[in-house]
Amino acid sequence: MPILAIEGATKRFGPNEVLRNVTLSLDAQEIRAICGENGAGKSTLVKIITGVHSADGGRIVIDGQPVEVRNPQHAQELGIALVAQELSLAPALSVLDNIWLGNREVPLFHRRRALRERAQAALQKVGLGDLPLETPVSQLSIGRRQLVELARMLTRDARVFILDEPTATLSDVEIERIFAALRTLKAEGKSIIYITHRLGEVFQVCDSVTVLRNGELVGTRRTDEIDRAKLMEMMLGRALGEMYPRWDSNPGAPMLEVSNLGVPPLVQGFHLTAPRGAVVCLAGQVGSGAIEVLRALAGLAHNASGEVRVAGQAMPLRSVASARTAKVQFISEDRAGEGVFLRLRVGANLVATQLADHSRFGVLSRHGLRAAAAKLAAAVGVDRTRLRSQADELSGGNQQKLAFGRSLGRDDAGVLLMNEPTRGVDVGARAEIYRLIRQFCDRGYCLVMASSDIEEVLGMADVIVSMYRGRQIAVYRRGEADMQRVLADITHPAAA
Amino acid sequence: MSGVSLRSRLRLRGLRARHLVLAIRVAAAAAIAVFALSTPGFTSPLSINALLNAISFIGCVAVGMTFITLTGNIMSLCLGATVSASALVFLASLSLGVLPAFGVAIAFGIVVTAAQGALVGYIRANPILVSIAGLSLLLGGAAFATGGQRIYPGGEGLQVFKGRFAGIPIEALYFFATVVVGQLVLSFTRIGRDMVMVGSNLRAATAAGVDTAAAITMAYVIAGACSAVSGVLLAARYGSGDMELGSGYDYTAIAAVLVGGTAIQGGAGSVVRTLLGVTAIAIIEVVLLLRGFSQQLQYLVTGLIVLAVIMLHTLGERR
Repeated sequence: MPILAIEGATKRFGPNEVLRNVTLSLDAQEIRAICGENGAGKSTLVKIITGVHSADGGRIVIDGQPVEVRNPQHAQELGIALVAQELSLAPALSVLDNIWLGNREVPLFHRRRALRERAQAALQKVGLGDLPLETPVSQLSIGRRQLVELARMLTRDARVFILDEPTATLSDVEIERIFAALRTLKAEGKSIIYITHRLGEVFQVCDSVTVLRNGELVGTRRTDEIDRAKLMEMMLGRALGEMYPRWDSNPGAPMLEVSNLGVPPLVQGFHLTAPRGAVVCLAGQVGSGAIEVLRALAGLAHNASGEVRVAGQAMPLRSVASARTAKVQFISEDRAGEGVFLRLRVGANLVATQLADHSRFGVLSRHGLRAAAAKLAAAVGVDRTRLRSQADELSGGNQQKLAFGRSLGRDDAGVLLMNEPTRGVDVGARAEIYRLIRQFCDRGYCLVMASSDIEEVLGMADVIVSMYRGRQIAVYRRGEADMQRVLADITHPAAA
Repeated sequence: MSGVSLRSRLRLRGLRARHLVLAIRVAAAAAIAVFALSTPGFTSPLSINALLNAISFIGCVAVGMTFITLTGNIMSLCLGATVSASALVFLASLSLGVLPAFGVAIAFGIVVTAAQGALVGYIRANPILVSIAGLSLLLGGAAFATGGQRIYPGGEGLQVFKGRFAGIPIEALYFFATVVVGQLVLSFTRIGRDMVMVGSNLRAATAAGVDTAAAITMAYVIAGACSAVSGVLLAARYGSGDMELGSGYDYTAIAAVLVGGTAIQGGAGSVVRTLLGVTAIAIIEVVLLLRGFSQQLQYLVTGLIVLAVIMLHTLGERR
């Protein structure tokens, strides 16, 4: 009998159905990978299992009993433990205190020997047997904190451990420790749901893999039955090539010249020459510094230093206004947090940066704004009838188009900085965004994008700059690099 | 899942929480109207006058508060004290003539709140704490300047700010003018649009190149000017002033803003909505008065209404 089964889970957010009739079951001692692109529904599925969201349809069965997971605490009582990307440890407290924090078994005075011994035993199992219990969590690396979190869940008799992209910010050594801990847990009879976008890890540590796409279940396979290419095809739903528009790389004159850019504490000595009409990709993982470089160029880093020239003109750093004067625009990956005004209308979102062009003495021209919004909507492929809708009614892909539309200047082309432009965007809309990016190239824009998705980098870039821990590792022209090269550069470069 | 919530069930039928909230609002407005019209004496000129007076003084403050709320800074606890202090400044400078005194009072209100707005906008100080500090400073400063005494200046020409014009109380005309100007600024100027964007999403506004600090400071400037208008009207009406004059106005003003349906998180709302909110609250108070309920009960009812509106908002915003 499966230890955990999800039957027909469905979830909607407003008009968007983010999870559609997803069914899966997990056996004891099974490590199950859940794979899918950004926006495939992985996180939503986890949130339903852990009681953060209530599903709009379907049910959860634990040990053959249908249950309603009311909230995250109830999920823990049912034996479901989540190790989230944002850890829930209290940094100022000791390892011991963190392990017992919030546990209902703990009496008022909790420094009992039995509690120490159980904490020690749990730490032993996750490979932290040598860690003193009094160490403050703030002194531990992210990887070790994750192991402490696992130990904490062990003391609560969790049976199903859910790990949400645990390795995204870890070094290889730390990743290996997590894997070792997972194998120990499995031998103890626990089950694990392992969410990852790194396909290599699926075959390294998991017994089986469930693939989601656009909120739907594509299928579940044993990892010894399929290979990497097959898994990728399941995730994408098509062969790889069609995703990216055909493009003859023909970079123009240098448009953006960056020399000796520093963004303390991470980035130093960064150089870049980005040509007009081309896409430059900064490839790197979290912590590579690619995002920091973009934010500095957008004027959003208050401590950036270095020399930047746009079309030959020097551009002062540390000011959004001067970046905008130099026609440098930034499109954030964090649409809800930094990109889109969710409570404003679609039209108001599109013209947000053009108010100065359509006002006299501070008074807006409504007619001019309406015309501008319609024109921008047409340029980025947003339905004109939706101009009066509120922005939060649009899908992630359409919201991203709003951010693009806002960056379109009225006259001549500029520099467009994009951070993870397709994060959280489903496959269909992704291809559209890529076409849109190429249209910007045609208009003579210079595009610089940061991405941790190597396929995207190889599919789109005319120039690839690989980055690792704040340093440039290599620069490739289109066709010079392959997946292995870039992957090696951004995970453990030979020169590091 | 077995316990499908009410909200998701509604959504299954194509109904959205937003529409539900709108329906409840319309129903509440209808209920208030029926309640008012069925109250004997509500439509008498006397009670309509009382109503117009009640909404005028508070209303100006509420219009100002709308701008602070819209920019995402929740509310200011200092506006009531700004009303009182500008009334005192107006009375104290009446010797210069009525219109110059009016100008001095408005300028005073603007300076007081602009300083707070700059702190909130430029160094991202917590708006509530800043307003509490402002409140303290005003109370202390006023006690120092007046020695804690009520002031009764002599002055001519105060009829510009009281009495009637074409049968309508002049106070109400000033209030309606404030509403119109406020709404025009919000809808038709760049700074108005900037304020809404700042309130909707501060980080996105920064990334889009909006001068967020200037927009926030401007919202406070408008709030100060509106409060000073209210202060001048009160001073003219009573011919004397102390720091009690506008006390409690900030609370009623934020109640009016919320009842009108401006989002407490900022980024959505309007001055016209606040006009509706302040009218609704005033009607309820007048009706309770006409039906012989005590003042204490009126406070209680206002509190309950605000609580209900906040809960309704939360329902509408949640997914």
